[in-house]
Amino acid sequence: MMPTYESGSLRLVNKLSFWGGRRPGRGDIVAIKLAGPHVLYVKRIVGLPGERVAIAGGMVQVNGMPLVEPYVHVRKPWDYDEVTLSPREYFVIGDNRGAASRGDFGRVDASRIVGKLLF
Amino acid sequence: MRIPRSAVLAVAAGVAALVLWAWLTRGTDDERAIRRRLSEFAEDFNAGTTDGVGLAARAARLGSYFTDDIVVDFGPGAGPITGREMLMGIATRLQPRTAAFMLELDDVTVDVALADVAEVTLTTLFRRRSVADGETSLDAREFSLGMRKVGGDWRVARITAVDILR
Repeated sequence: MMPTYESGSLRLVNKLSFWGGRRPGRGDIVAIKLAGPHVLYVKRIVGLPGERVAIAGGMVQVNGMPLVEPYVHVRKPWDYDEVTLSPREYFVIGDNRGAASRGDFGRVDASRIVGKLLF
Repeated sequence: MRIPRSAVLAVAAGVAALVLWAWLTRGTDDERAIRRRLSEFAEDFNAGTTDGVGLAARAARLGSYFTDDIVVDFGPGAGPITGREMLMGIATRLQPRTAAFMLELDDVTVDVALADVAEVTLTTLFRRRSVADGETSLDAREFSLGMRKVGGDWRVARITAVDILR
């Protein structure tokens, strides 16, 4: 998630962010769990359930429109075929687009999102 | 001689408790054995060597953690690896000689389904440091393992990568 967050830096995740019917929003930086609570991915949400997401020339497109992302400073001109998110999926990606590779972005099920980063 | 009814009931309750304790702790012993086995694998994996003889011996030692018919599935884009010989051959050829690396296993969950079959989910953390420039990279992935008890030892029979980001 560089340059927004340095690798290995200590961050605080609010696990109550999405309780009581609250849902992740576009732009939220969230923690995504793997097999358990100790190792988490940190990614930014750029696509919401039901939306069509693609990447063209390094630019994220949502429902055919380019997404304005002021937090991205370095991009690689890569493409990703359009996908339609299911009602339980979000599209997440890191902010370091200059080094993004397969496995650094994609669709994630809502059940994997444990909370929003506070700082 | 008449045995008091209370004595019969006490003995029966004691036997039942013993059976229940054995049933509850049996799974626990296997879980502990599997966790220990996986921990030993990580230790052996991280014990580095760069000479030719050492590499072959290390590959043989690491191979003992897998069944003969192991299947490794890394997901779309990579064909499955089948058999211990193939797995060890690939691992030996891929061993980097210009980097220090460390494998950690975290968030290990063990489910012993039967006496000799278990399912494990875990997160692998692979830290790699380049000898050339000292840069460190970290890769974390979730895996699902199928374990089987062979000759008294728990071995990995199946490794499946779990795609978190599809």
